[in-house]
Amino acid sequence: MIRNVLTHTGGIAVYGIVSVCLFFAVFAAAVVWTLVQRASHVRHMGRLPLDDGEIGPFAPSAPKNHEPGS
Amino acid sequence: MNQETFRYDNRIVRAFAIATVVWGLVGFLAGLLIACQLFLPELNLNLQYTTFGRLRPLHTNAVIFAFVGNGLFMGIYYSLQRLCKARMFSDGLGWFHFWGWQAILVAAAITLPLGLTTSKEYAELEWPVDIAIAVVWVAFTVNLLGTILRRREKHLYVAIWFYIATAVTVALLHIGNSLAVPAGLFKSYPIYAGVQDALVQWWYGHNAVAFFLTTPYLGLMYYFLPKAAERPVFSYRLSIIHFWGLIFIYIWAGPHHLLYSALPDWAQSLGMVFSVMLVAPSWGGMLNGLLTLRGAWDRVRQDPMLKFMVVALTAYGMATLEGPLLSIKSVNALSHYTDWTVAHVHTGALGWNGFFTFSMLYWLIPRLYRTPLHSNRLADWHFWVALLGMMFYAVPMYWSGVTQGLMWKQFTADGFLQYPQFLETVLQLFPMYRLRAIGGTLYIVGAFLMAYNLWKTARTGSFEADSEVVVAVKPPPAGTPGSAPGKPPWGHRWLEARPLTLTVLALLAVLVGGLVEIVPMYLVKENVPTIAGVRPYTPLEVMGRDLYIREGCVGCHSQMVRPFRSETERYGEYSKAGEFVFDHPFLWGSKRTGPDLHRIGGKYPDAWHFNHMENPRSTSPGSMMPRYPWLLDQKIDTAAVGPRIAALRSVGVPYPAGYEKQAVADLGKQAAGIVTSLKTARIETPPDREIIALIAYLQRLGTDIKASSPAGQATASIQP
Repeated sequence: MIRNVLTHTGGIAVYGIVSVCLFFAVFAAAVVWTLVQRASHVRHMGRLPLDDGEIGPFAPSAPKNHEPGS
Repeated sequence: MNQETFRYDNRIVRAFAIATVVWGLVGFLAGLLIACQLFLPELNLNLQYTTFGRLRPLHTNAVIFAFVGNGLFMGIYYSLQRLCKARMFSDGLGWFHFWGWQAILVAAAITLPLGLTTSKEYAELEWPVDIAIAVVWVAFTVNLLGTILRRREKHLYVAIWFYIATAVTVALLHIGNSLAVPAGLFKSYPIYAGVQDALVQWWYGHNAVAFFLTTPYLGLMYYFLPKAAERPVFSYRLSIIHFWGLIFIYIWAGPHHLLYSALPDWAQSLGMVFSVMLVAPSWGGMLNGLLTLRGAWDRVRQDPMLKFMVVALTAYGMATLEGPLLSIKSVNALSHYTDWTVAHVHTGALGWNGFFTFSMLYWLIPRLYRTPLHSNRLADWHFWVALLGMMFYAVPMYWSGVTQGLMWKQFTADGFLQYPQFLETVLQLFPMYRLRAIGGTLYIVGAFLMAYNLWKTARTGSFEADSEVVVAVKPPPAGTPGSAPGKPPWGHRWLEARPLTLTVLALLAVLVGGLVEIVPMYLVKENVPTIAGVRPYTPLEVMGRDLYIREGCVGCHSQMVRPFRSETERYGEYSKAGEFVFDHPFLWGSKRTGPDLHRIGGKYPDAWHFNHMENPRSTSPGSMMPRYPWLLDQKIDTAAVGPRIAALRSVGVPYPAGYEKQAVADLGKQAAGIVTSLKTARIETPPDREIIALIAYLQRLGTDIKASSPAGQATASIQP
């Protein structure tokens, strides 16, 4: 039955309009979603890559590997 | 607050790093060889295994799946452990993934020069390799999700969302586009035909770019750039919008590869609109990356890793502005099928993926080996040589693309094509092709400098197979499941702690675009108007078509006459969707290094094709097409005819039941006719040679809409 309905659907150009509306809804939702985040949480998330807990003299975030002249 | 001690696995990261460098050099060298063949066709050494048509997919597969593939796995295995504060879920699965992936790449390096190909761009590998890819990819996905589920860090950093979207979407694309019926151990026919096959292929092809070359690297950018700059990403909020905007839009943009083709107009417009919208999330991500370096630009001068990263992001910005512009139909009318596309693709591949991978390697290897980089000066040389190489590559290709596009469309004051011979437009491009080869050589020299530099670094350092880690494990914050009652987290913060929900939502986001475009294409009948004269190929034509596929002719010749006067004047009637209903797979192509062939049927006598394939320069002086003398010697594989007819019937081609028993006899009759025709031109050849099948196919092309076609009459006999 679904196949029959789709097979005889006319005016498929409406897909374009539906698609753009759908995108706008998703995009707007993502913007709202991010704006309501707490600043402290955003700061915490942003710093995650900088804290991987490694120890030792050549820990991955140790900057001296790339000092000029090294 | 408790402390936990555990170890990160660096061995798997090192293995993928070595594979990245080795396969990168292989892929670049294959590219240089075929680039040189375009102005020096003899460089194939007259061997069928080293012709442009067979090596071009080897180059693209080596660069995409071997170089970038190993590069993204290297980065993901390194960063995922650290972002989750957990060792990978399973070392065994990791090694299965590594060796399985390398075995697939070796299989590609063997089968593609042998001509075992599906012909679908970036999906050329035949069905047994496709199955292996699916199995290995599942192993990677299980390892990825398993690690995420066992993490010690509650919230998933944005990089991990990109990894999840990559794993899920690539699996979806690969399986969706690889559905085929086998007709032998290394031969299959896709279940889709013509317009549908084209749409599914470019839904896959475009999103292979999106979800193999872009989203994982964006995730890696969000990890490695803050690490190198030693500061958090410019805007974490922007990264959330970047992620959802990008994965939602990207999947819709595939039809921009098929503008002005026989694809229905509504699908073309949808692809164009979404492609233009892609600028927003792409540039959001690019600016987020570049602005992360605010206050740290002085270090870009000193740190080779940051130099490569900045150029990578700039190239990403350029490519993602250019891509949407090329998706505008009026721009695409000029650019499509020309070297402009090649220039665009290589801005992304050499600049974004290449420079980013080099950046990661320069950052990772010293850390894995606990020693400073062997030589910053050598890395600087690599940077400048590769940058110069990229310029020498891209600028001539843009020049070449615009030149040829304009020449194809140029009319005289009297209304005739100014350059009616396609070859005239090709001969103009040779200087640009030579310059491009210089650019490619420089880029490769840079890559060898890097390989030496990294090798010396490894030799002087000591490899740390496992990095010991101590992390503080915090009690769950109020409001999370199992914690004390309080205000529950909501919004995106809630989602960031739920990897499976996030995976499902990401899958939904990418599914919507694919379904809205592909399902109506299948079910709405008005999309492919029926043409009464279109008949299935004869057995000899089927074999000829398979030779066309084997030799990779589709890499240089399109079969899609666009509805422009400049094209109908040059080639004949524009191509209609209904003409391709028996084309498993479609062979529309995406580049015209040679002319379009959709209306080649009947244009020249059989003898012209015979001489042209034996030596293209005998009929077209100055042509860059390689010789195909082996087609004159090798015999048609008649044992394969039956299984191929049966396989084609099972994907919907209406051959009568049991026709395969009669097929070889019909093949012989049609071949005898071509042999007789060749005799009139004093060409003596046995009827069982491959050249006969290829001539039969070429003479059939695009003739069904002409009522008087002899091929049409021949095929009428096999109608049910």
